[in-house]
Amino acid sequence: MPSPTSRPDDPAAALRTPSRPHSDAPTVLKIVIAGGFGAGKTTAVGAVSEITPLSTEEYLTEASTGVDSLEGVEAKQTTTVAFDFGRLSLPDAPVPLELFLFGTPGQDRFVDLWYDLSRGAVGAVVLIDTRRLETSFTPVSFFEDIGLPFVVAVNHFDGAHRYQPEQVRAALELPACVPVVTCDARNPSDVAGVLLTLVGHAENAPATPVHPAPNATLQDA
Amino acid sequence: MSARGDAAEDSTFVRTYTLTRGRTRPRHLLGLDTVLDAGPGRPGPGQAEECEEILALCREHRRSVTELAGRLGRPVTAVKILVSDLLDADALVVPVTAPYAASGTDADARPSLQMLAALSAGLKRKWPDAIAYLQAG
Repeated sequence: MPSPTSRPDDPAAALRTPSRPHSDAPTVLKIVIAGGFGAGKTTAVGAVSEITPLSTEEYLTEASTGVDSLEGVEAKQTTTVAFDFGRLSLPDAPVPLELFLFGTPGQDRFVDLWYDLSRGAVGAVVLIDTRRLETSFTPVSFFEDIGLPFVVAVNHFDGAHRYQPEQVRAALELPACVPVVTCDARNPSDVAGVLLTLVGHAENAPATPVHPAPNATLQDA
Repeated sequence: MSARGDAAEDSTFVRTYTLTRGRTRPRHLLGLDTVLDAGPGRPGPGQAEECEEILALCREHRRSVTELAGRLGRPVTAVKILVSDLLDADALVVPVTAPYAASGTDADARPSLQMLAALSAGLKRKWPDAIAYLQAG
């Protein structure tokens, strides 16, 4: 399990970013939707988003692996990662809210992106296609490690064998407290139900800060 | 993941860094979810035309860094650099909402229980048919 690289001190952090008190602006909350290629992330985001899901690109720099570095110069490779963005406003909530949805790919070389997105998030939905269950292991262990509340949602594809949530729980070795639900990612009420399940789960989860626990090894003793 | 060849990838890089005039790091610490609003200032002369696009989008509706990058079809880092220029010119501002103001310095802060309850209520009102699955135990 790769852990997020530590961030260098950013000189920009010292700059004062102009901000404006804006008490009537809705509060922004965000939820991460992670899943393997083709698991239905864009569909799920689009089912509840008020805008057509946007595909946004970012460059990620990663240290090359599997190749010896020459003369102490570390080879770095830049790759492009695309992730989905959608948003919806909830003006009828007791506090006006805007919810951001980020759909992210499931490969482990994107953990830095997940880490950025997880900071301050309500939680995460790991969307799975039972035909490619192995693509869910990395996001599941990532969210477990950083202590972000998450739920597992099985997207029911036409023609795919329908596994029971308990079979998926066993295959992913999920603790009993993690909700496993099924959904049709095309159906807005279904996706909203998954989000509600996550919010309920987050309300009951202990408020652990989102960062790798330094004492993790001690707790195992 | 991009499926383009190396040559196409290289030319995208060149275009991106022409846009940012060679800069690779934004001056302001901006998150993917940082929200931007149009401010009172005007962008300085000689800005990329993308800056005008960003301003036009933010005048319509406040937008996140990710949304701006997606709409412009430019990488997030490049958009953060342009947004930094616009913040310096006061042409954009970061709206601070009251509930976040209290925990603004704590990057690891999770939404409060009160916010989670409000989110739950808001989702239920928007989708009355949505069912939350309650976990036994």
